[in-house]
Amino acid sequence: MIRPALLRVAVVAAFLTACASAPEFATVPPPPASPFPAPSYTETPAIASLMKDARAASESGQPANAAALLERGLRIEPRNPRLWQELSRVRLDQKEYGQAESCAQRSSSWAGGDNALRFENWQLIAKAREARGDAGGARAALDAAERLK
Amino acid sequence: MRTMFRRRMFGQIEPSGSKRWRYFRYACLALALFAVSFTAYLDFRVRSEFEGRRFALPARIYARPLELHAGLRIPQADVIDELRENNYREGRFDGDSGWFVREGDWLEIEVRPFRFWDGPQNALRVRVDFDANGVVKVQDGQGVDLPLVRLEPLAIGGIYPGNNQDRVLVRLSDVPKPLIAALISTEDRNFYTHHGFDLRGIARAAWSFVRGHGLQGGSTLTQQLVKNFFLTPERTLRRKGTEFIMAVLLELHYGKDEILETYLNEIYLGQDRDRAIHGVGLASLYYYGKTVDRLTLPEAALLVALVKGPGVYDPYRHADRALERRNLVLREMRNTNAITPEQYMLARSTGLGVNAKSGRGTSPHPAFVDLVYRHLRRDYDEADLRSEGLRIFTTLDPRAQNKAEAVLERRLTQYDRDKRFGDPGIEGAVVITDSQTGEVEALVGGRDPRFRGFNRALDAARPVGSLLKPAIYLTALADPAHYTLVTRLDDGPFVWKSRGAPDWEPMNFDRQFHGAVPLRTAIAESYNVATARLGTDIGVGRVLGTIERLGIERPMQPYAATLLGAVDLSPMEVAQMYQTIASGGFRAPLRAIREVTTADGKPLKRYPLAVEQAFPPEPIYLITTAMQGVVREGTGQSLKNWLPPEIAAAGKTGTTDEQRDAWFAGFTGDKLAIVWVGYDDNRAARLTGAAAALPVWGEIVGSLQPEPLALPKPEGIETVRIDPASGLRADVGCDGSLELPFASGSAPVDSAPCATSIGIAVENVKQTTKNWWQRLWGR
Repeated sequence: MIRPALLRVAVVAAFLTACASAPEFATVPPPPASPFPAPSYTETPAIASLMKDARAASESGQPANAAALLERGLRIEPRNPRLWQELSRVRLDQKEYGQAESCAQRSSSWAGGDNALRFENWQLIAKAREARGDAGGARAALDAAERLK
Repeated sequence: MRTMFRRRMFGQIEPSGSKRWRYFRYACLALALFAVSFTAYLDFRVRSEFEGRRFALPARIYARPLELHAGLRIPQADVIDELRENNYREGRFDGDSGWFVREGDWLEIEVRPFRFWDGPQNALRVRVDFDANGVVKVQDGQGVDLPLVRLEPLAIGGIYPGNNQDRVLVRLSDVPKPLIAALISTEDRNFYTHHGFDLRGIARAAWSFVRGHGLQGGSTLTQQLVKNFFLTPERTLRRKGTEFIMAVLLELHYGKDEILETYLNEIYLGQDRDRAIHGVGLASLYYYGKTVDRLTLPEAALLVALVKGPGVYDPYRHADRALERRNLVLREMRNTNAITPEQYMLARSTGLGVNAKSGRGTSPHPAFVDLVYRHLRRDYDEADLRSEGLRIFTTLDPRAQNKAEAVLERRLTQYDRDKRFGDPGIEGAVVITDSQTGEVEALVGGRDPRFRGFNRALDAARPVGSLLKPAIYLTALADPAHYTLVTRLDDGPFVWKSRGAPDWEPMNFDRQFHGAVPLRTAIAESYNVATARLGTDIGVGRVLGTIERLGIERPMQPYAATLLGAVDLSPMEVAQMYQTIASGGFRAPLRAIREVTTADGKPLKRYPLAVEQAFPPEPIYLITTAMQGVVREGTGQSLKNWLPPEIAAAGKTGTTDEQRDAWFAGFTGDKLAIVWVGYDDNRAARLTGAAAALPVWGEIVGSLQPEPLALPKPEGIETVRIDPASGLRADVGCDGSLELPFASGSAPVDSAPCATSIGIAVENVKQTTKNWWQRLWGR
């Protein structure tokens, strides 16, 4: 009973060091399979159209425009985890690794039980940490992603 | 003898005569030299200044564009208000944009073309359907559904050159022919043939004067331009001479079109409070709400009528004179055959038809513009801001701003009436942000929203009182092994002794002690003593660390009294601090600017949304629940007068010593608002946060269709049914039990006396919690 708990603490500690959170807040538990159902967000036409335009902007090498389009979406639906995740991708493109990680975390905070989405977010976090030269942090994120499978 | 005499005479005189002649010649030479060099100097000035001169264009500041889409919660009336504020006319004006028609629960809008930071948008016909909740459908002119439509944003002010001159540059090719014809017919008939001065014009002016028709100008457009452009307004002969030479020089160097275009952009055509309206481009927007190319004949004639004196012929204050002068312009046009008699008759019978007077001056919302200016100054030179015509796209939400201004003004006036504390009256400040993105939607710097001066929202650092308490409880709740929402805190007499400082003995607002109180009650009722004891138990340093992490940059003294808010913060700083809690522990720097472009629309800078996780989600979830308790059953419960309970807003009241400052800070799912009320001179206001600041908050937020506050439950949180009386686990046998969140493993393990079932599996982790809890309980 205690050993998994200790392991958890270790993972948490690694995560905390990685994201430079102060150690006195000993939480951010590892993400086991969530008991909460995925929130039912149906994509509204407004969000769908902004996401589509953002993807097109990204593909044509205009990440700033893509980010602006996603931010427009977030003003309409600040709780849409897909928008946050897309923004994380764009930030990764823009080499804004800190923001890429934060946006992925924000996405997960609204993801509820959508493990596929959270898996993607950990992948994005791993990439951001990798790019920043934080190999340990990247590995911890990949481990976290694996646990969601 | 006579010859002799003459000779002598001339012999004597001649030398002196030739000397005089010589002096005369020298004088002439000197004069000629002076004239030549003066002319050369003027020539240099004319060329260098005219060529190098670019009109100083103010940075233009825009509100956020209203984005219409199905599902937007906005009443039809608010959309109409915003259209009206943006000078949309009610009625159908086919072939024109900037109008709307209202038919029951739908609107038809012809949206004006606009250059957004990410590109131009053409004029657009849309139909918007509403129901009781807001927009249900947006379609184009052909009935095809549109996912999203941006209305062009409201211009909310500018950053102006020192003389507050405002203008919108136009090309000559954009200026309609009737306007040019009107100008030339009225001001300078021989413009296209003269060389800068017009003898016939002067003669006509003189003749008209002689015939008793009053003094007329006789100055050519070129001379008028020179006068406005290079010279001071004094009226001396010397200046007149200088003007004459410069006008001729200007004509020598430049074509008629260049001179005319500059004239049309330079000319002073009106005054809007402290803002000077220059050029036909801005004047047509100001008086008619349309671009200059769309002006009709009578409208163009009015602008030309104003050339003579925008004050004397002010269409708002002296409509009769303005109309008379406009008709004179039309008559001159007819007399010079610029228009036909039929056109003349038709135009003459048209009313002035100017927009309602805006009266907004350099900005209707100076406090917000002040914030924008301060942010811009980090990245731009002051000179560039005042002259380069930058376009600044901001986050201001005109709905929120207008409501915040109106509510604050009305409430403060009422408090003054109720209290009769004399002058100066009570003051206040409001900050509203998007609780998720940190965009500043409204900023009110005082009760007179048009006043450009002390900006209390940014600069009034006042004691915050209990507004710091959430930071203390957040620090505690982040340590779930020791603190949960039901942990009993001691609200008995408390003295804090520290070396070198007087003893600190905090007191509760009701001057009572409440014994052992659950943590959630201590914050809901804002008990000072229990909070002070809690804060000193966990350590002032740790609490200050939390405050800093919440986004407060101002250094704070590590004194125990700091815990109860003996700290001065501005409403904006408080907003930053609460923002981090409202957005789930993600700190987002408050932003007022989205994008900046050059005058012709080239993107210069974007201020992107930036978030950073400052706290794990679990303690944020717990503190938010506790702050919802403040509103549901604590010091903020009167909010129910403005918000239905399902909004589940979270908030905190703040009242300082002798009630000098009244605060309310809180948030819903989408809005965060901070309200401060107090006297500038620190008089005791005798108003609590709940009595003075909360009603302002409730009335503003309640009018903005707020979204319910529903935080996603983090994984490390479980909810447990609790019996409030004992703070233990409840079940069906307990009346009045409630569900409370706990960090996993921190919930009480024992059942309340009212519970019928017993025996709950106890895990190892929970055991420690139990011991701690028991220890506290035993105290």
